[in-house]
Amino acid sequence: MKKINRLFTAIIISTSLLLGCSKFLDLDPPYTQDAENFFQNEQDYLRALTGAYDLLQGMFVSYWIGDIASDNCIAGGESVTDTEGLHQIENMTHGAVNDELRSIMRFNYCGIGRCNFILEPKEVEFDFPSKATILAEAKFLRAFYYFELVKFFGDIPLVVDQRLGVQQIQALERTPSSEVYAQIEKDLNDAIAILSYKSESTHSGIKGRVDKGAALGLLGKVYLYQEKWPLANQTFNILINSGNYSLASDYSTLFLKENENNSETIFDVEYSDQEGGSYGCLICLEGNLTVGYQGIRQYDGPTYGDGNSYNLPTQNLFNSFENYDPRRAATCLNIDDFIANNSVGTTYGIGAGGHTGFYNHKYMKSRDEMLNGIPDNDLTSGVNYRVIRYADILLMAAESSNKIGDDLNSLLYLNMVRQRVGLFEKISSGDLLYEDILKERRSELSCEGHRFFDLVRTGKAADEIDGFVVGKHELFPIPQDEIDLAGGNWPQNPGY
Amino acid sequence: MSSNPNFSKLLLVSFLTLFSFYFTAQTSIITGTVVDENKETMPGVNVKVVGKDGGTTTDFDGKYAITVESDSVKLIFSFIGYRNFTTAINGRNKIDVQLQLSTKSLDEVVVVGYGKTTVKELTGATVQVKGESIERLNIPRMDQALQGQVSGVTINTNSGSPGGSSSIRIRGLSTFGDNDPLILVDGVVYDSEGLNALNPGDIESINVLKDATAGIYGVRAANGVIIIETKKGRKGAKPKFEFGTYYGMQQTTKSLDLLNAAEYALVKNEMFIRGTGSPIFNNTDLKMGTNWQDTIFQNAPIQSYNFGVTGGGENSSFSIGGNYFSQDGIVGGDKSSFDRYNARVNLVNSLTDKLTLSSVLLFTHEERKALPENGIGSVLYNTINAFPTRPVVTADGNYEYFLEVSDIINPVAQIENTHNNSAVNKLVGKQEFEYKINKNLSFTNRLSYNYASVDNKTFSPLAWYGAGKYANSAINANLDPVQVEIAEDVFIERGASVFEQRATYLDLNFESFLNYSRTIEDHNIKATLGTSVFSRRGDVLNGTAFNIPNNSVDFADISANMAQNGYLNNTGSYEFEERLLSNFLRAEYGFKYKYIFSAILRRDGSSKFGPNSRFGYFPSVSGAWIVSDEDFFNVGAISFFKVRTSYGISGNDQIANFAYRALLNGEGVYVFNDIITPGVAIGTAANPDLKWETTRQLNLGVDLQLFNLFDVSANYFIKNTNDLLFSPDVSAIIGSYGPGGYPPIINAGDVSNKGFEFEFAYATDANKNIGMNVNFNFTYIDNEVKSVPSGVEFLPGASFGVGGNTATRFEAGFPIGYFIGYQTDGIFQTQEEIDNSSVKQAGAQVGDLRFVDIDGDGEINFSNNTDKTNLGSPIPKFMFGSVLGFNVFGLDISANLYASLGHKIVRNYERQQPYANQLDYVLDRWTIDNPSNDVPVVTTSINRNGVFSDFYVEDGSYLRLRNIQIGYVLPKKICEKFGTDFVRFYVAANNLFTITNYMGYDPDIGATQGTLSGGMDYGFYPQAKTIMGGVNIKF
Repeated sequence: MKKINRLFTAIIISTSLLLGCSKFLDLDPPYTQDAENFFQNEQDYLRALTGAYDLLQGMFVSYWIGDIASDNCIAGGESVTDTEGLHQIENMTHGAVNDELRSIMRFNYCGIGRCNFILEPKEVEFDFPSKATILAEAKFLRAFYYFELVKFFGDIPLVVDQRLGVQQIQALERTPSSEVYAQIEKDLNDAIAILSYKSESTHSGIKGRVDKGAALGLLGKVYLYQEKWPLANQTFNILINSGNYSLASDYSTLFLKENENNSETIFDVEYSDQEGGSYGCLICLEGNLTVGYQGIRQYDGPTYGDGNSYNLPTQNLFNSFENYDPRRAATCLNIDDFIANNSVGTTYGIGAGGHTGFYNHKYMKSRDEMLNGIPDNDLTSGVNYRVIRYADILLMAAESSNKIGDDLNSLLYLNMVRQRVGLFEKISSGDLLYEDILKERRSELSCEGHRFFDLVRTGKAADEIDGFVVGKHELFPIPQDEIDLAGGNWPQNPGY
Repeated sequence: MSSNPNFSKLLLVSFLTLFSFYFTAQTSIITGTVVDENKETMPGVNVKVVGKDGGTTTDFDGKYAITVESDSVKLIFSFIGYRNFTTAINGRNKIDVQLQLSTKSLDEVVVVGYGKTTVKELTGATVQVKGESIERLNIPRMDQALQGQVSGVTINTNSGSPGGSSSIRIRGLSTFGDNDPLILVDGVVYDSEGLNALNPGDIESINVLKDATAGIYGVRAANGVIIIETKKGRKGAKPKFEFGTYYGMQQTTKSLDLLNAAEYALVKNEMFIRGTGSPIFNNTDLKMGTNWQDTIFQNAPIQSYNFGVTGGGENSSFSIGGNYFSQDGIVGGDKSSFDRYNARVNLVNSLTDKLTLSSVLLFTHEERKALPENGIGSVLYNTINAFPTRPVVTADGNYEYFLEVSDIINPVAQIENTHNNSAVNKLVGKQEFEYKINKNLSFTNRLSYNYASVDNKTFSPLAWYGAGKYANSAINANLDPVQVEIAEDVFIERGASVFEQRATYLDLNFESFLNYSRTIEDHNIKATLGTSVFSRRGDVLNGTAFNIPNNSVDFADISANMAQNGYLNNTGSYEFEERLLSNFLRAEYGFKYKYIFSAILRRDGSSKFGPNSRFGYFPSVSGAWIVSDEDFFNVGAISFFKVRTSYGISGNDQIANFAYRALLNGEGVYVFNDIITPGVAIGTAANPDLKWETTRQLNLGVDLQLFNLFDVSANYFIKNTNDLLFSPDVSAIIGSYGPGGYPPIINAGDVSNKGFEFEFAYATDANKNIGMNVNFNFTYIDNEVKSVPSGVEFLPGASFGVGGNTATRFEAGFPIGYFIGYQTDGIFQTQEEIDNSSVKQAGAQVGDLRFVDIDGDGEINFSNNTDKTNLGSPIPKFMFGSVLGFNVFGLDISANLYASLGHKIVRNYERQQPYANQLDYVLDRWTIDNPSNDVPVVTTSINRNGVFSDFYVEDGSYLRLRNIQIGYVLPKKICEKFGTDFVRFYVAANNLFTITNYMGYDPDIGATQGTLSGGMDYGFYPQAKTIMGGVNIKF
């Protein structure tokens, strides 16, 4: 009996001790790192930088809208409620409730947040030789994400070198786009000062890590969008005169996997075909989903793989090419002609989301990719998205030269692009040359996500896009949910 | 310590003598024997002097000796499961007593947190269901068997597949997140998903704590508490053996009315002609075609064998049980099944007079095979949408491919290629020491544990469903593997793969509490003071290996993989731990058993929360007044009348671990040098002030007994849940919406549940030759979201169709997960009607659905939400459960009915795809000759008929005969000839009929994809209709 009494006394004492001891509840998550005090060495910075790059792969939404909002493409797909936001944008009936616009806001701010995580001041700063490069790349990425946002929405809240909590968001205002542009320019100039060209030995040589050329190209484009012609021209000239770039000889194979990272590549979003994926989380994919999405609906024939018939070129785009321009066929695949010429009897499906007879030939699933991928092969293409290529740089250089009155160089750059595809040289000047350059941009860069923004910045959108309302559709509406979640105080963009 | 019983007895007697001596010199000793209804002696019966403390219990031979004072008037005898027996002493020295089994009586013992009480003394809304009524239903799963048994408890089936689970909701949905009640089996925490591991035959009773008195479980009690007790033995009882078995055949409760081949060809031709100008069938005389449902549904056996023995010796009692249960699926042949083996040991040992050891061990082994279900791509989804014009196998010997569509695959081929097995080993146990310090005070210490290992193995063979199908893993019909480029021009094969996972979970819980109980004349005092330390750990390890030889399930093991250099193979792991540290106090005071007042306070510390708000206090108070015991109460018809009330606060901490801090568990992966390169990213954003949800609940109740025959009980409750744990949308600027990123979990939003519950029971004496019993319960619940996080108009839930609109929402002013979409107003009959309509509906054609302009702006807005409106709620307003039973000279018949009314279901299993098969309501579609005002035109051209509208919402109300059975109990004389005490044969049917207007398989649908997916039918695996026969033998 005594033993038992003693035992129970011991239990009572030990449990009451436990009660006072709330350390029992101090658990640390197993095998996971805390976000605070994370940066201890080069490896940590590199891993965080990889995380910041990751959001580039969310470019697919912006890429689609670039052509679907313009006269180049229709949304397509299974039905008009399949990715409904794109259909609304196609018809210029979009409003402030639009999942695709919301994704653009979310993905790009997530990218900005990850850059800020690297760039925010640290309690203890660790130094190592490659740190400046890592920070410069983070600045490039931040500039890129902000440029996406300012292009779509105009004034947007500018958050630099800090992470915000739920409460702080409520006090946030929309920053005037001029200030956002100033920050973008500053970040890019900082990056240019540090980064070296891919061709230089000081560059890591790793495919996918941005270089000085990418930063220069983006900075020039940023100037161009603000119509800062001399600065734009000067920036493009540095890039062109660096001698690091040239046009690839064959336009029709430009968008193949094997022609990535060639002399024309300024800046790509990198994708891989080595990881499976599902429709549940598109931003989690490592593959380029646009390739499968733009594939031919229910197609089982040679050369191409089946897909979801998104982002379909219009007859208008097809007609806009000069005769004998090989870029027409490289951009628009006439599916009925293709079947008639290559594989009579092959069938394909027509989605209720729309059909034009053309498929997007630049980013389109090939038969090889079907055989060569990991499930779901609609989502796992390894083909990079070419964000900025040298031909684009040349045309932007031609445009800025024309604007500062240097038609000689302007023609030179324009004709470099035309020569590559075997078209005759232009000899126009002044405003006619300007029109030629814009026309060339469409032929060269269609179905690459640029057209809508080109039409807007050149003031031609209302002429070319049905339903485009001047003073309204230059900008997309800030998603209503984002206004509400930020306290409901932001003014909406005009007209929405 | 002496083990000599005589010594103990001597000690006891002298103890009692001493005690009585102390109070009064005038005492006498009364002795006697207590027997049961079969005249067998009953050990362990409590014998007490009415109005006095203490008392004694009968010994091994049912004998007792009690010392009484001269002023003592009555003795009371009580034993669990028996009616209390009170008798006047009248100067007798020897009182022998026979106790009668109680049907449902006020003296019945109900299990509450860390203790027991009687129905009479209960102050909270606690309901008990006896194990027999669960076992007798022969419903394969414990959770399903509980449906309709208790008012206020809503149980919906998440899946009717063997080994599936149910969602159990006590008093409505109270939160956005986890609504599962806390389930304790013999005091051990059990997860509600795993309830199917329990053998219904092992259950003694199920006690449901619905109101604030559940607050003794503090931070986990907000969703109510279910306390399950397994069968225990009785000291000194002769061993009693029980054997029960049944065998039955199951089939689907329903087949859908789909188009046959001729109808399909007709409808599709019309659809394509209208859309594209040309038909797809030249010949529509196609007869019936393939009935795809017949190809996947089949009759499937179900069987159960249950064995148990209970009994006890002088100082111990035992109850040991074993069960084998096997259920095959009604879909998918041998690819869908559930086998379960249970073993149970309950031992109670009196180690000394004062020290009792209770041990419980429950072991379960389960084996389950499952098919893809509940979603796009599930077997039933493919079956519903498969074309009736195509054969299962084509002339060239391949499975039909349905090449016209990419998302529908041949369900027969799908079943053939599915190899999805899981095995669970679960050991739940408890060792409990109860030490009686003195007659008023006992001290209990217990260690309980719940260990489970869950093994999954999924074999994915190389499969080919036709070109372009999402489910292909081979590249052609020859099943050639994919060639994966692992480096520049280096290709390797990716063949059949096997995924294996082992997850182990261990709960350890140490609890220590003091129970005090004392009666001083008219005052009863009870108190419980205790502490609990809880830890849960989990460890998950998995791997996938490729190139399984011969593409054969015979080699489906990671060890057999032939992947070159292990390329492609991968592994993963995950670990977690969470802890709770708690103290609790309950004090109860009763005056003459007439006025009872109880108060509870629990303090909980949970590792789920940060240091800022780790500890919480959860108080509750309750009281009862037994009006019928008042002198002034003199209503002959009412033999018992009690009013009771309770109010209190409880919590809910069921969120992910470490949500209060920012961790680098996001996904930051990019491709460098064509190699997928992992980096880091913040996952869920931090919220250091995160705390538990708080539920405040008021309960008002009455219990009545009329004419000593009818038991009536009613409750009204108001349950308000505040500070909901949410992960609502936050501003994009926080940066949470990248890969692996989630918005922070915050406390925001309020939900209210109000309801009324009513229970009625009537039973004649079970020992009579002719008798009946009736149980009826009714529940009304009104669920409403009161507020949502600031800046958020609503939280979107499940989506409709493919890539479609949000169909459910969490929004203030509406029930949780209500359906939101367009309201229809018939069909446009003519072009003039469209042209002259005051409301502009873009793109409308003749025969299209006409939508209602909710916001009155003269236009149907498809690009925003302004014309969307409430299309109904998935939460039933009313539920009825009812049991009717009759017995006449050994023959018995009983029926169990359940009804659920006032909720809606969304028909979300129809693929909005031109070629997909359809339900036959489409035969009534609009055409020029058939100006239907309900079903829109069929066309392949662009239209808005597929947006989420009330056209897709159906009334989900139903009445179901859940069980009906006829049994026969052999007369005692015949039984005895075979050496048995009791033999009953029966035939029974489950789910024999269901009355409903719902067109889908089964209107009893849970929330299969989260709280906001309630009522979304993705091609639900229906419950089976079962016909069975069985026998129960006791000897």
